[in-house]
Amino acid sequence: MNAVTEHQFRSKSSAAKTRETATFWLFRAATYLVLLCGAAVFATIIFKGAGTVLQATPPFVKTSFLTEAPETLHVFEFQGQKREMGDKEFRAFKAANPAAASIRAESYVYSAGGIFPAIVGTVLLVVGSMTIALFLGICAAIYLQEYARDGRFIRFVRLAILNLAGVPSIVFGLFGYGLFVIGFKLFGIQFFGWHVSLLAGWFTLAFMVLPVIITASEESLKAVPKGFREGSLALGATQWQTIRKNVLPYALPGILTSSILGIARVAGETAPIMFTAAYVVRDKLPWEIERLSDFFFQGVMALPYHIYVVSSKIPQNEYTERVQYGTAFVFLVIVAIIAAASIILRNRLRKRYQW
Amino acid sequence: MERTGSNHFTRTVLTTRRRFRFFGLTTEDLIRSFFGGNAVVAIVVLALITIFLLKEGAGFFGQNRENLQIYRQAGLEYVDFMRGQVEGHTTLTRSLSALRLQQFQASTAAGLGAEAANAALTDFDAFSDKFSDTVTPLRGMVSDLTDVATAIKEKFIIAGDKREERRQLEAVGRDADAAKVQIAEVNFTTEIRPLLDARPAYLEASRDLGTALTALLAAAPVLAGPDAAVALEEFKATTRAYVAGFPEIARRVETWDYTLPVPLGKSLSAFVFGREWLTASFWQDWYGIIPLLVGSIMVSLVALLLAVPLGVGAAIYINQVATPREQQLIKPAIEFISAIPSVVLGFFGIAVLGEALRQLSGVSWLDWVPGFPFSERLNILTAGCLLALISVPTIFTLSEDALNNVPRSFKEASFALGANRLQTILRIIVPASLSGIISAVLLGLGRVIGETMVVLLCAGNRIAIPDFTAGLGVVTQPVHTMTGIIAQEMGEVVQGSIHYRALFMVGLVLFFIALAINYAAQKIVRRYRISIG
Repeated sequence: MNAVTEHQFRSKSSAAKTRETATFWLFRAATYLVLLCGAAVFATIIFKGAGTVLQATPPFVKTSFLTEAPETLHVFEFQGQKREMGDKEFRAFKAANPAAASIRAESYVYSAGGIFPAIVGTVLLVVGSMTIALFLGICAAIYLQEYARDGRFIRFVRLAILNLAGVPSIVFGLFGYGLFVIGFKLFGIQFFGWHVSLLAGWFTLAFMVLPVIITASEESLKAVPKGFREGSLALGATQWQTIRKNVLPYALPGILTSSILGIARVAGETAPIMFTAAYVVRDKLPWEIERLSDFFFQGVMALPYHIYVVSSKIPQNEYTERVQYGTAFVFLVIVAIIAAASIILRNRLRKRYQW
Repeated sequence: MERTGSNHFTRTVLTTRRRFRFFGLTTEDLIRSFFGGNAVVAIVVLALITIFLLKEGAGFFGQNRENLQIYRQAGLEYVDFMRGQVEGHTTLTRSLSALRLQQFQASTAAGLGAEAANAALTDFDAFSDKFSDTVTPLRGMVSDLTDVATAIKEKFIIAGDKREERRQLEAVGRDADAAKVQIAEVNFTTEIRPLLDARPAYLEASRDLGTALTALLAAAPVLAGPDAAVALEEFKATTRAYVAGFPEIARRVETWDYTLPVPLGKSLSAFVFGREWLTASFWQDWYGIIPLLVGSIMVSLVALLLAVPLGVGAAIYINQVATPREQQLIKPAIEFISAIPSVVLGFFGIAVLGEALRQLSGVSWLDWVPGFPFSERLNILTAGCLLALISVPTIFTLSEDALNNVPRSFKEASFALGANRLQTILRIIVPASLSGIISAVLLGLGRVIGETMVVLLCAGNRIAIPDFTAGLGVVTQPVHTMTGIIAQEMGEVVQGSIHYRALFMVGLVLFFIALAINYAAQKIVRRYRISIG
């Protein structure tokens, strides 16, 4: 019996073996610790924010939080009852109850109402800047991948892209502020100088995300087999015809999918829009304008900036907590959906396109 | 007949078809240059960033020089010598009261009643009162001189404002109004006289203070207990050193000359080596980058100390140890973490992590950790933990790529020689991919040092160099960072003011740090890449 179990090649427990197992467990612990930390952040925000955004009865979402503008919250005691009201409601209440006219209420700014203007602003910022970035980025990638021959100039362009990717977002904010918001005078003509506006925010964000888009687009173009191009060229098509008919259609899904990660980045950044596009609060919605041109030159509220404002400019207590966690919840969910979509689509795409 | 006609037709079409040309360029060329133009955007943007940061920041040195010049001309520098002396005395007095408190607590702990403990300290109190009284004449004098200097500076600023007003009126052509603007030019020679006249009186007061302190020290009371005696001796030594510094201060006061011009280099060194960032102060504004730079570096160091083991460890695990199923799940999950917006993490830090860490630091069995317990919930540690979470995905993804690029044959050869998996990983695979891992860490550092929202919300925003005498406990102090200061103050400054330009200078420093890190990362990858083949 013994002879069977203790055969010559059985794995012996040695010091080296123990050390190996222990080290592997350390590595494993590191991995799961990282995941745990990420999950903890998610769980906290989802768990605490769900109360503001979701409800137990259909339609399960508190639409008022998503469709109203932020208001000041008033907390007061009236006839022995503790009441909380938004600004509009509070005024109506005062008008209806003369006894309440002289009531003293504690007020917390932005803690009532919803975050609709911020959501709209973020969507506008993302759509505009991604349009600019995708146009510039895809064109640049086509040049680099299809037209350019390796040379000093191309190496210089690549170096610039690589370095642009490493520039901190706040520096992009400063740059956008200096160029687009303030502008400069050359020979007495004012260039740019758009003040705090959507347009300034679009370009600042677009330049920030440009390296991501270019790299993603190049990768997708590279994935299209060489034979596609050679076949087309051999049939007498010009290079542009080849690119348009035989390369871009196959590369486009990949380009768009990889670029979704750029959307997550654009939506999530606060620093570049702080002084180029974002307002702390704005009563009017972006489409409430007199002339069409005003649309581009207006500042907007944005979700990330709103989170910054509500988490740093107002005190932390049970009344303000709702809007803080609620906004973070909505924002995190939006960004997470975008990011998850990009990761899943990319993985799927990798499997599908294998020429 | 027909056939030849068709041939002829084809030939004519092929040979005579004129290509569309625009300035001698064909359509193909135009399309090509259009795409090329878009590729140049990256270079243009990079150049524009540099130009605009330089353009807005360059004016800083001239303005700061003016700022330092008026600091000297209005006599603020002169009064600061004396203020330093008075502040030194205040510090000493404070350490005396700290000593008293310690002594009082020691005697009550030993079972003495509060009254008895106070009674035992009567001598000490008398000494301490006398000690703090010694500086009164000097303090009064310095306070008067402070007012004088501030008034001169005020006058100078008003004159500058008026001059600007006149210039603007002239610019719009209202010369009559411009002529009406009264400009009270400041004559520094006469204005500064009261300050200079106070010199002999100050020197005497300083000398008196010195003798009074020396006499007091000789008659210092004796404190019970060996610890207290040592502390008292220490106090005496500090005081003696303080008094010994008087002649130096006197020399500075005597040789001080308000007419000396401030060189431009001083303006530069005041920024690069300035240990104070003080704005909107009633006395004098300072724009020194050191506290911000130190803050940024400290936060990044803490973040990397946490993130490098975790990120690289996870990369090794996923690449070498994990099952394929684990790989498939964990890789996207970690990438997913990188999508958490930094402002959400910053909010998490304010709302949850800061308080949690403070509670943790209060746990009694964690007393041995340096810096624990701490009272500021927003500090280097809080910001560093969150930044670590931000940089882990970067470090993980790039390290994993580097590990993946190590050829299979390396591993196989190692196994064939009888090494086990751990030995193969640590001796073969990690060293072979070290350049990639190092560059991953560098890019993680770039990510961390440029991160704004987390440090703005969670680093505590106290503009001061942290107290390094606390040893490792320094990580529990609040700091301010370069990115944070730009985000915080940019919205409030007047465009074109010195403060505004100072912020652009900080941005410029940040930009070049980022470029340097990026450059180093690329260089390392290229230089130390092992040839695979």
